[in-house]
Amino acid sequence: MPQALNVVGRSVVRSDGVGHVTGRTRFAGDLVFPGMLHLKMVRSPVHHARIRGVDLGEAERVPGFVRALTWRDVPHNVYTILSLIGVEPEEEFVLAQERVRYKGEPIVAVIAETEAAALEAVAKVRLDLEELPAVFDVEEALRPGAPVVTDWGNNTFMFEGHPSRRVRLGNVEAGFARSDYIVEAVYNSSPIEQAPTETTGCVAVPEANGRYTVYTNTQALYFSLDNTAIILQIPGKRLHFVGGTVGGGFGGKVDVIVEPIATLAAMKTGRPVRYVFSRSEEMQVSSTRSAWRIYMKDGVTRDGHILARKVTSYADSGAYSRQTPYALTKHAANVAGPYAIPNVSIDAYCVYTNRTPASAMRGFGVTMGSFAVEVQMDRIAERVGVDPWTIRFINAYHNGDLRPHRKIAEDATLIETMQAAAAFVGHQLSDEQKAMTSAPRASLEGVR
Amino acid sequence: MTVTDYFLPRSLSEALDLLGARGPSLMVMAGGTVAMPLVNDGISLPTQVMGLRHAGLDELREEDGELYIGATVTLTRLLRQQALPVLSEAARNTASWSVRNMATVGGNLFTPPPGGDIAVALLALDTSVALTGPAGTRLIPLGAFYTGFMTNALQDGELLTGLRVPRVAGDTAFIKFGRKASNTPSVVTVAVRVARHDGTVTDARIALGAAGPHPLRASAAERVLAGSALGPEAIEAAAAVAAEESQPFSDGVASEWYRRKMIRLFVARALDRIWQGGEDR
Amino acid sequence: MASVIVNFELCGRDVEVLVQPMTTLQSVLRSQLGYTATKEGCRQGGCGSCTVLVDGEPMLSCLLPVEDVAGRRVVTLEGITPIDGLHPIQEAFLESNGFQCGYCTPGMVMVAKALLDHDPRPSREAIAGAISGNLCRCTGYQPIIDAIEKAADRLSGSGEQTGGR
Repeated sequence: MPQALNVVGRSVVRSDGVGHVTGRTRFAGDLVFPGMLHLKMVRSPVHHARIRGVDLGEAERVPGFVRALTWRDVPHNVYTILSLIGVEPEEEFVLAQERVRYKGEPIVAVIAETEAAALEAVAKVRLDLEELPAVFDVEEALRPGAPVVTDWGNNTFMFEGHPSRRVRLGNVEAGFARSDYIVEAVYNSSPIEQAPTETTGCVAVPEANGRYTVYTNTQALYFSLDNTAIILQIPGKRLHFVGGTVGGGFGGKVDVIVEPIATLAAMKTGRPVRYVFSRSEEMQVSSTRSAWRIYMKDGVTRDGHILARKVTSYADSGAYSRQTPYALTKHAANVAGPYAIPNVSIDAYCVYTNRTPASAMRGFGVTMGSFAVEVQMDRIAERVGVDPWTIRFINAYHNGDLRPHRKIAEDATLIETMQAAAAFVGHQLSDEQKAMTSAPRASLEGVR
Repeated sequence: MTVTDYFLPRSLSEALDLLGARGPSLMVMAGGTVAMPLVNDGISLPTQVMGLRHAGLDELREEDGELYIGATVTLTRLLRQQALPVLSEAARNTASWSVRNMATVGGNLFTPPPGGDIAVALLALDTSVALTGPAGTRLIPLGAFYTGFMTNALQDGELLTGLRVPRVAGDTAFIKFGRKASNTPSVVTVAVRVARHDGTVTDARIALGAAGPHPLRASAAERVLAGSALGPEAIEAAAAVAAEESQPFSDGVASEWYRRKMIRLFVARALDRIWQGGEDR
Repeated sequence: MASVIVNFELCGRDVEVLVQPMTTLQSVLRSQLGYTATKEGCRQGGCGSCTVLVDGEPMLSCLLPVEDVAGRRVVTLEGITPIDGLHPIQEAFLESNGFQCGYCTPGMVMVAKALLDHDPRPSREAIAGAISGNLCRCTGYQPIIDAIEKAADRLSGSGEQTGGR
């Protein structure tokens, strides 16, 4: 006998609500431990430079200075966050070695008795940098002769041997040839900072049993633990990560940036170490939603059927790839939109530039693709001379349709969603549109 | 950021003595809303700081038709005073409630652009500033206080102690245009004052914020207005000249190009408001 | 660097702290006194998450050297939270879901407290103006304004005093 539902369909008081409204919820940065040290980072003041030298002499004389960490102190100084799921190569430096590739890249970690002393010591570290030409545009980065950000000679991430994530269905050139109209456009977006109210941070505490407890506001607790273990070359069992309380993330706290170096600092000093970003660090160096450039070309019949879609997308990954390859894979799978198009060709490039590394943010990869697709649909509607609703009903995919990446659609809801939306906004649909469903087509004739 | 001495003088003479004894390395702070962020981030690393919050410079009084505003009068108190509504409006459009409870009118004159909205309104009112040093107090026009980006006419050993807003003729209008409805940095801030006799402009002030290295007057535009009949033609002409003579900049709030367009638009709107007789004293 | 002693009233009790010169009130509250409801979102005066009441007026504890509040009355969120149960403003935030991650919430509640002490029946516009210095990145503000409206209804409806000023 089914039990009565007591949560679904009702408003319930959140379990963490009382803690939040009383301020008793403990966020990572609220924690204070006896003897706790403070870590602040010396960062690159320029976008691209060769590091000729680092002089710690004056910093070491600041009262309260405890020690500094450079790349030589990091057991495994190069990594890729997604190496845990087989993404390679390892390419991001925990602390910069011979080069800095973006403004704000960490070079030297300074550990001091107080935050004030740490800030003063950071200001007194002297960097000898030879500035290099920098590149900030995805297409410029792919041109011959462009400044090279990576260590392998070009600015391209390779997807299983290809410079782009590719999707192919049918023959787009044949589709264009049979089309009455060609609709072409380019869509650009800027990077977006998630800007959570609580900045990224953690406290790493050495325990009596030789383990390290790390209190962190990461959105990806076990990604952080595993990557920290790899970077520090210690077994994961020596790390105990405590998290789950996040003062806003939106994807901005999935990268493993503060935990490895704070834990290393705790190992080297034997004391608790707090490493929390300032607001300017959060804005300047925490990863953003990537900038995008999307070229879209569609071939359309006079009656509004899209016969072919060719997409070339570039995501600006910034100086390191982080989660952007994953974004490109999602992007390539979705940028044909929820539409049945028989001929599709998609090339999605992950491009390195000297910007702040991009990473996750709410629907990353898909969000900008959807923006491009839907503006494009409106343009097609205008060209064909039908309203924006109609062009979507004509092209909406049905269950049973083959999507460009060879998945059979089994969760199609565009038609029903549009019908519900029309009712909400009082838009009058045609009888034919009202009668449509996402049910499998009687024949696949509609999908040319 | 490792401060070794933080002084909180209880009187002006104590403050001047400290300044005299410690010299220019003594950082002077009023409400702290500009200085503390720099100290907190390690951008500014002072060792000796003097806070003026308790130095007795917070007098706000009307005398002989003038308004005297002590340097450390908070923006909240400026908002609540009723003698000069245009200053209340400027205060209401500056920062947030908590910041207004801390930020001071004197401190606003040291706020780099696009800040300094109060100063824009003060410029349109022919305000003078009182600079006090060991030799006494000198009074100079606010326009002469600014000498460049983040530089001013204060000499070693002097403090800005207060402001005098004289009784001036004419109607005023103040518009701050930002990207949000409130608590927003300025795209452009405009304060205008126009005195008329029989429909002819006898005296005009056009003061602009976020339009140069410091709050400034659009003097050429003021000359366009002077002697004209205030109306659409004169307003458009003055607004165009104001946009041309200003020196806007690009930052995270707005581009130079956009600011110049908005200067023209909002100078015209402010003057229009006076012409339509919508506002003021 | 000689430390200095500062005395002030915190949530109804007298406290004495030994600090480095010009330590912020925020830092003293969070690191020395364990009053961590006061948050640290920017230390630039830009986010409002460290708002406290000084003699009843909302101020930003990240911009206040603790020496400046010597002898004054400081109230943080801990000070308006009953030992058992919740303040009506907190109840309203809880019921209206005037929070998501909870990080801006202490600052929001403190500004709401100050607002309702000054103006027991604020308009929605006045509420929006009052919280314009408090950034929330999760809720979109409407549930927060709803919560403050609801608290105003309850506090003035029942004639209950919120204390403070």
